[in-house]
Amino acid sequence: MTITTFLEQLADIEAKLQQQASATRSDLEKMFLSNNGLFTIISKQITEVEPTDRKTAGKALNQLKTAIETVLASSTGREVKDKRWVDLTIPGEKPEVGHVHPISQAMAEITGIFEHIGFTRVRYPEVDWDWYAFESLNMSPSHPARDEWETFFVDLPRSDEKGQVVLTPHTSNGQVREMERLGEPPIRMINIARCYRRQQDVTHTQMFHQFEGLVVDKGINIQHLKGTLDYFAEQFYGPGTKSRIRPFHFQFTEPSFEVDFSCHICSGTGEIAQDGKTEKCRFCKSGWHEVGGCGMVHPNVLKAGGIDPDVYTGFAFGWGIERTYTLKKGLEIDDIRLLYSGDFKFLEQF
Amino acid sequence: MNILIPHSWLLEHLDTEATPKQIQDYLSLSGPSVERINDHNGEPVYDIEVTTNRVDSMSIRGIAREAAAILPQFGVVAKLKPLNLPNVSKANNPLPLPRILENDELNNRTICVVLSSVNRTETPKWMADRLEQIEMNVHDAVIDITNYITHELGYPCHAFDYDKLVATGNEIRIVEAGAGETFETLDGESFTAVGGEVVFKNGEGTIIDLPSIKGTKNTSIDESTKNVLLLMESIDAKKVRFASMTHSIRTTAAQLMEKNVDPNLASDVMKMGVKLYQELCQAEVSSEVYDHFPNKIPPTEISLTTIKLSEYLGFKLSLEDAAKMLEKLECNTSIAGDVLAITPPSFRPDIAIPADIIEEVARIYGYHNIPSVLMPTAIPLNRPKATNFGLEHRAKEFLSAIGWQEVYTYSMVSETEAKTSGFNLENHLKVSNPLTDDKVYLRRSLVPSLESVIDGNTERSSISVFELANIYIPQEKDLPNEELTLAMVSNRDYRTVRGDLELLFTKLHIYNTLISPLESDDQVGNIMVNGTPDSIGQIAVKNGRVTIQLKMAKLVQLSSSHPTYKALPKTAALIEDLTFTLKEKTKVGELIKALTNADSLIEEVNLKTIYNRNFTFTIIYRHPDQPISSEMVAPIRKQLVALVESDWQGHLVGELAN
Repeated sequence: MTITTFLEQLADIEAKLQQQASATRSDLEKMFLSNNGLFTIISKQITEVEPTDRKTAGKALNQLKTAIETVLASSTGREVKDKRWVDLTIPGEKPEVGHVHPISQAMAEITGIFEHIGFTRVRYPEVDWDWYAFESLNMSPSHPARDEWETFFVDLPRSDEKGQVVLTPHTSNGQVREMERLGEPPIRMINIARCYRRQQDVTHTQMFHQFEGLVVDKGINIQHLKGTLDYFAEQFYGPGTKSRIRPFHFQFTEPSFEVDFSCHICSGTGEIAQDGKTEKCRFCKSGWHEVGGCGMVHPNVLKAGGIDPDVYTGFAFGWGIERTYTLKKGLEIDDIRLLYSGDFKFLEQF
Repeated sequence: MNILIPHSWLLEHLDTEATPKQIQDYLSLSGPSVERINDHNGEPVYDIEVTTNRVDSMSIRGIAREAAAILPQFGVVAKLKPLNLPNVSKANNPLPLPRILENDELNNRTICVVLSSVNRTETPKWMADRLEQIEMNVHDAVIDITNYITHELGYPCHAFDYDKLVATGNEIRIVEAGAGETFETLDGESFTAVGGEVVFKNGEGTIIDLPSIKGTKNTSIDESTKNVLLLMESIDAKKVRFASMTHSIRTTAAQLMEKNVDPNLASDVMKMGVKLYQELCQAEVSSEVYDHFPNKIPPTEISLTTIKLSEYLGFKLSLEDAAKMLEKLECNTSIAGDVLAITPPSFRPDIAIPADIIEEVARIYGYHNIPSVLMPTAIPLNRPKATNFGLEHRAKEFLSAIGWQEVYTYSMVSETEAKTSGFNLENHLKVSNPLTDDKVYLRRSLVPSLESVIDGNTERSSISVFELANIYIPQEKDLPNEELTLAMVSNRDYRTVRGDLELLFTKLHIYNTLISPLESDDQVGNIMVNGTPDSIGQIAVKNGRVTIQLKMAKLVQLSSSHPTYKALPKTAALIEDLTFTLKEKTKVGELIKALTNADSLIEEVNLKTIYNRNFTFTIIYRHPDQPISSEMVAPIRKQLVALVESDWQGHLVGELAN
């Protein structure tokens, strides 16, 4: 061993000694002076140092021993007697840390909530056939309902059987795919994925995320859909949050509903009491936030997935992660484009 | 689609004491959603969203009908008032009706009448006020009557200048336009047909109307109009949609017609139109009513059983109660034993299967009255094999904890970004209808997007970002292969980034990874697992940035939720540092491998520090069974020094003890 290495190792031990200065006497003895102690080992290694350097090495070794003894002397029994001045007001030195993107955080939370009640998370193509994105969902190519899904098409030849290739405008393409994967109920699927629509403003981005639930079995009814929505609302937005369903229309569910969650600011009343007066809650629409759609799976969709609608029923729901997430209490993101901006000033807040 | 409904206008069709707030709340819970109540000069005006399947509700009458069925369920008295429209009177001074060349394929009903001596009067205040309330422009009575009745009854109608029709032969041919034919709409805009739009032409072959969408200038009402042809048609919904979308003429008429508005409604619109022209413009009926209605589709009967109903509701509702609700929606019902048979009214083609009836019953019963419970059914256990969402999230959390920022960037990239992906433009899939130029190609690599993020955050000196997303690999005659990729880009130095990568592998319990530089490019290396032929990704150092791309499927396959436990060493190790001066371009990774393999007592060799060309390695020696002694280590140490000198042309800093 070179003298340099030897001295470096002594310095390391000295540093450890200072770090451990407030440890108990017995711990210190064990660490430094026992058979396997740091000092014991290094003192044996002096024989490996070049003979010409041994004197220097010995001197340094002695200094270390004195230091150990000093620390031991001031450390009596269990009590710590370190009286050195420490500046507790000095700011901390932070390691560099990153952040899990808010969309990933929301996804993980949503996944966890649904997994607790037996849902299986799945992943299906983001670039898919028209058949899965529309036609199997009871929407023929010329159907006006398709207007609402402002769809991107991929420049590929159409398939005779499955039509054009689209960027999925919703996660509902997972419905028939999950029926095909499992072959038969029970189905309790949660599908979270990127979606794409030709739209761009403060509340819309060309790419966004949805999560889709699908439950199919014998005897599944509207009560179970309501139960699932209420469960999610309580878990995601906190105790006391309620859900409600109102009539709506989708081609792939019948009956179809719009889902609202009660507003956490006004507790679903639409009004806030302030200075003895009641004012309209400015955060919500009369006590509720619209978040998305749901319904009982249309018999034609079950048929498209090879499931007999006379035997099985099911419900499905699907809505945007961005919208669902930004309704969280106190979050106050007013422009969802920020989520995809890659701006550190935004991302570092999460 | 939304419709504005003034409260007082609604009350002309609905007998109720309900307050506007009650109407808003109850309709929203059980029918069309009343999004807000606007105050228009002290009068409430409902802004109501009507779903695309319920075009029958796109009128004052339609909303009144809904309210009459819904409000009583909430204990509020409400009744739909009868329409009581007089029949069209006989013509006193008959004028000839146009010759209409029908086409039953393109049009399912034409109903029209000639009204003469039409006074050009101002729109009366009551009507003007209502049109303002529903945000429509006010012209004069002759024009406004058509808009007014469309809004009231929900069926589009059009008033032609009768004399303009007569001047060109008084003929209407219902045909498809040929490509290149032109027409000018009543507001003066010119269009060229693409071919296939259903149009009205006169005997000369000139287009004189874009029926169910918009009138044309050559037959529309103007200041000189004295006689009017009031006409309603029922053009094929798909044809209307095609023409309206092709030319971006999205009128109320087109939106109603493309959703198959019920042609039976035209009869009441005719009666109300004639009544208003007579009352407001002192018009005279000057022809018979022409009515061609070739394909009246009788509503079909649908039946529903108690079992089916309770299958959806989760409780038993009597068929008698269901029938009462359906009657309010103008369905005919009859019960025979356990079966409820219903015939919906002609304006409700959306009621076609048992689930449709259930929807009507359930919403009128009130969704809020249905209990909420979680399903007691079996939990499926068949999970998809190739994915591991837990692992994905663990990787994200670990990387962020050690200084990497997760980002989400768009799956579509610009041409420039696509070209820098390492793949030719032709090897990318292209969006055929992109919205913006910067999102056209489906990306083959996440790296250009992450590079853009780094470029965009100029205030940061040290920056490391990652993303987990698909890349899209085109396949012959099939969907692209979507390869889930974990990409990392950093402007920190190679060793720091590689250290993070190694830690990530350890965290995921993936062992024995190595980086194998490409022969063709020493700045790029494949990330391999010892003993397997496929790479799990690539690492590259270019222009001061380190980029890593890992195939998630490989990580899923290789990783484990837990390590394989190794027995703790029973003996103490001897640890020492050796410093070597190494030549330029020495592959230190290879050197470490050689040192580690030099003797079985060497447990580990780690690079500790680098100073100029001096590399200090920490060597851990350990004997499995006995404490290792200096005597045992001395020859090994010599061997290491000799190895570095002979195979690597390096030399030890300092000298060895004898």
